[in-house]
Amino acid sequence: MQNDGGNPPFAPMRERNVLLLDLSKSMLAPLPDPQGGGPERQKIEVARTAVFRILQDAATSGTLFGLVTFTETVRVPVPLGEIHRENLPYIENLISLLTPSGRSAIWDALGVGADLLRMGTMGVQGNLVLVTDGWDNASTRFDVRPEPKGKLADGRVDLVPYLLPANSRVTLRVIGIGSGDERDKGVDTGRMNQVIGQMTQRASELGLAPAFSFQLVTTGSQLFAQMVNAFLDVGYDDDRPIEELHPEELAHHAANAARALKEPQQHATVSKIKNAQSAGRVAGNGSYSEAPDIEVDFLTSGPGGPPAYLKERYGPLGEVVEAYISGDTDRALQLIERTQGFLPPVTRLYWEARIQFARRAVVEAARALLQAWTEAEKLPPQTQAPILRRLAVLQARMQNDKETETLVRFIDETEHHLANGDPKTRERVMDLFAKLMELRGTYQLTRLAGEGDLQDAAVKHEAAVEEVFGMLQDARLELATQGASVEGALDFIEICLAEMR
Amino acid sequence: MPEVKVTTRRRGSPKKETKPTVDTTRIAVVGIPASGKTTYFRFLSGHFGLNLPILYIPSRADNGSLPLYGDLENDVALEETTYETTDPTDPEGSLETTTRYYVNRPMEDRRKLWVELSAGRDEQGILTKYPLPTKFNQFVEMKMRFRYAAPGGEAGSRPMELSTVDEAGGIIADYFTYDRLWLTSAEEEVTEKSCRVIPHFDSWRPDRRDLWKRGLTLLGRFVCGADAIILLLSPGLPSLRDQAQQVNLARGVFRYTHARNLPLVIAISKADKLKEFYTEVEQSVRERTFQSAFDPVDFLLRRDGAGMGTILVAQEGRGISTKEDVFLISSAVSTGEGHPLFIGETGDEAPTSGTATMGVPVMVNTTLPLARACERILQRRATKGS
Repeated sequence: MQNDGGNPPFAPMRERNVLLLDLSKSMLAPLPDPQGGGPERQKIEVARTAVFRILQDAATSGTLFGLVTFTETVRVPVPLGEIHRENLPYIENLISLLTPSGRSAIWDALGVGADLLRMGTMGVQGNLVLVTDGWDNASTRFDVRPEPKGKLADGRVDLVPYLLPANSRVTLRVIGIGSGDERDKGVDTGRMNQVIGQMTQRASELGLAPAFSFQLVTTGSQLFAQMVNAFLDVGYDDDRPIEELHPEELAHHAANAARALKEPQQHATVSKIKNAQSAGRVAGNGSYSEAPDIEVDFLTSGPGGPPAYLKERYGPLGEVVEAYISGDTDRALQLIERTQGFLPPVTRLYWEARIQFARRAVVEAARALLQAWTEAEKLPPQTQAPILRRLAVLQARMQNDKETETLVRFIDETEHHLANGDPKTRERVMDLFAKLMELRGTYQLTRLAGEGDLQDAAVKHEAAVEEVFGMLQDARLELATQGASVEGALDFIEICLAEMR
Repeated sequence: MPEVKVTTRRRGSPKKETKPTVDTTRIAVVGIPASGKTTYFRFLSGHFGLNLPILYIPSRADNGSLPLYGDLENDVALEETTYETTDPTDPEGSLETTTRYYVNRPMEDRRKLWVELSAGRDEQGILTKYPLPTKFNQFVEMKMRFRYAAPGGEAGSRPMELSTVDEAGGIIADYFTYDRLWLTSAEEEVTEKSCRVIPHFDSWRPDRRDLWKRGLTLLGRFVCGADAIILLLSPGLPSLRDQAQQVNLARGVFRYTHARNLPLVIAISKADKLKEFYTEVEQSVRERTFQSAFDPVDFLLRRDGAGMGTILVAQEGRGISTKEDVFLISSAVSTGEGHPLFIGETGDEAPTSGTATMGVPVMVNTTLPLARACERILQRRATKGS
């Protein structure tokens, strides 16, 4: 059943997320995976995957996140708060150690989740995601009426008004694992539909927008599909983080990047990069979503090897990347070939190109990358820009075009660094990058103009530079305390502007 | 000029040794660090005080006669006031000033003068550079007095003053680059808040921040009262950051002079670093009869001699004329080995080793930007009816 009532008339608060994870013993049971072809996976493994994804999103978007686990007891292993990327390994380890046992107090867990999101007279504000495979058989505080006027168990509180008091802005998404046709074989579909129905009814009575859904996942693949809908990339061995650059090196990078803007014929890849502005805006919407948009993640592998939980977090793509990072390109190629059919084409083709390039199979790499560009053009605009930049970096590598690579990498890294920061700051910096890119046009006119038109072209270009420089100054004044990444980006833009002459 | 008199006085001291000038016209010289401001002032004052000759490239039909004169009414040709923070921890920000006066009398050992003034920055001793080791606790206001008579115009000459804030190229570059710092009157102050437009300002030491703020205020007030600006640009800067700083300064100065309708003259200093120009200098020194037909406009615009690309093209006719307001100058032509090039009394290059030989430094076009600035100031006044 799907009952999310379409688009709500006002945006729910998406910045506060609480995940309720079932840890009852039944979560140890395997989940059939007829389409996957691989070994069956335990429900808890699949559920952990979902949690890893949600945590990653929360860390990227800077939203508040809390985790509630439940058996017959409800616990809060991760209180509602901001997830910092540096804390992710610790939290993920914690999740990996969670062992199912006992029964399920689903309603009590929902009550605790609502408490985490409760804000006094404003009611419950935020998003609840419930991942469960069971029936409520252990709650002691709350109950759900079997029908709107039905009777509650003795001494229990009615969950629905508790979840949805007046003035609330709450969304509830239930991901039910396994078919619940038979008791203890899967989620209690009937009761879940009752909860969703009653929540919708109550929202209507209170004049609130209903934003409640129940999604049944009967195979591992169905849940798995959510994590493979990603575009994952990793850095190159010789990449140096921009924050490590000496100011004079930064100036060299900026001057190099400016050449990519000034010489379009020699740096044709730059023209394929879409306005960075939209990419910056989209990154702000990072809460958990089942929308078909491809999520773009960039990982850096530390000295200890590949990042942890690659496979768990990204499924088959994670395996490919793991093999690639460990230098086993033959295996990586085999693995990527197997992903046809369930990885997004742009992701698969990009990785095919990347692996082939590592194997020095230049022709195959170029062919795959060309197809990846074609696929990328079909993507929705909000996902397109960061993916195009990743393709551009690979293409620049393949063409040994250092200038384009520097430019694209700087924009990409800046966005990545700012991903956890204030969305308005990110938007502002990315806007500046977009404006910088636009200067290519006016600069080109100064190159192409004939003797008579040269001055007009030069005047227009200088006016455009002046406008961007004004924006840059305002950004300096208003973002002075936003940290090294912002300062570095502004320094870079300032030097690029000086080079555009 | 060679006689140096040093006095020290505290801030607020009313003592002033130069004669007051009435209706002095002020021209501000601006440039990034090491753009040649000090050399420009020292050698120009040498020209006014000691009649050091100027070489012109391309050769001038008028044989270099410009209506610029030393100020005979005033002993002091060049005045340098060092502002020094003596105690950075003092919340009141004590600021001590030391003034050095260069007067219009020849020095006994003329050769010594050239050596001292022409030495590279690192080789300059305490006599020719400022006595404190760091640039972050001091800046120096330089004033040079001279006179200008409009050719064919009214009788007599009028007092002029060329001034800059020396040892403060960074402050100058920041002030003009970031228009959010600009003052609109000589009573205003640059605020701490507006200083944040300067990259990484918040991460500086408090005493440096304070001095910078004071320097910006001083500069802001100083240029508020300027009647014209001479922008010194250094060619062939090796550091990309310096290049960016200079381009940003130039763009800022264009914005500033447009906004205030101020005459602007550009001097590409250290032009002897440019190979084509140096070739002309060398030939002019070697052959007295050589008439250089070097085309600066062609060089600047078509061969990118100033590193300014299309910026100069964009400004053409919008406050400057590339043909009339941009000059290639060299206030102290170098031999290319860190030594100044001297010419002896015969006009040949003076040897730099062996027996001490009398020689004068080679200055090329040094007076042209000044004369042009004066000319434009008077034109502007005439247009305004003042």
